[in-house]
Amino acid sequence: MNGGGKRSFGSGGGGGRGKPAHGAAAAQGKDGQRRPMFRRRKVCKFCAEKIDDINYKDTKLLMPFVPERAKILPRRISGTCAMHQRKLRTAIMRARQLALIPYTAE
Amino acid sequence: MKRKYELVYVVSPDATDAQIADLHAQVEAIAQRLGGVIEKTDNWGRRRLAYEIGPHKEGTYVLELIEGGGELMKEIDRRFKVTDLIIRHLVVRVDEEQTVIDRTRTKRSETSRRRRIARGLPPDRAPGEGQREIDDDRDDRFDMTEVER
Repeated sequence: MNGGGKRSFGSGGGGGRGKPAHGAAAAQGKDGQRRPMFRRRKVCKFCAEKIDDINYKDTKLLMPFVPERAKILPRRISGTCAMHQRKLRTAIMRARQLALIPYTAE
Repeated sequence: MKRKYELVYVVSPDATDAQIADLHAQVEAIAQRLGGVIEKTDNWGRRRLAYEIGPHKEGTYVLELIEGGGELMKEIDRRFKVTDLIIRHLVVRVDEEQTVIDRTRTKRSETSRRRRIARGLPPDRAPGEGQREIDDDRDDRFDMTEVER
């Protein structure tokens, strides 16, 4: 049972390593450095993939921008450009009205 | 002036197929009376709602593409507000956005053609030529795993 617990802990650590920000946060706490890790350049998804039409019916496209709490992901995290963030916002708000996307979780 | 509108309405899950057809007929009748045309009707079928609306957890979604004036949509909106069977509806004007989208698309393809001709290449890109398609594992884009703060 003990071994099983250890293993699960180990796998949890591995999962954490998969997400770069987790590692970065831990390093920051330990060393007290200001910029501990290289931050990758963020690119607007809609510019990069040349998506012109941000439609409220396209839930698959919108879902990554409304994480667990179902709040709209801010630009500083997703890296979306101002124009596309605006369009994204109207699309999400319309989709919410039709109960395609939740307003909040729980 | 002709405008295009999208109308989506969510019908209560208790509604029978006949009732849904009747709602569609109502929309059609209003459109005809006020000089509009229904261009397309699309029934998305029963879907789970993202949140509960009153007692409902599911709903039948119907999309209609209507060409007509603002008065027509106002009438449909008014009618739907008082219809108990409809739990949600949304009217969106689409023609202006569509022209903008078409314009950016043609502009993009034209500039790419012009540049390619300037470089002495055939105007259209051959399959497999140029920048490869964006892979999902390219890591300079947001991939949902990154969390800051």
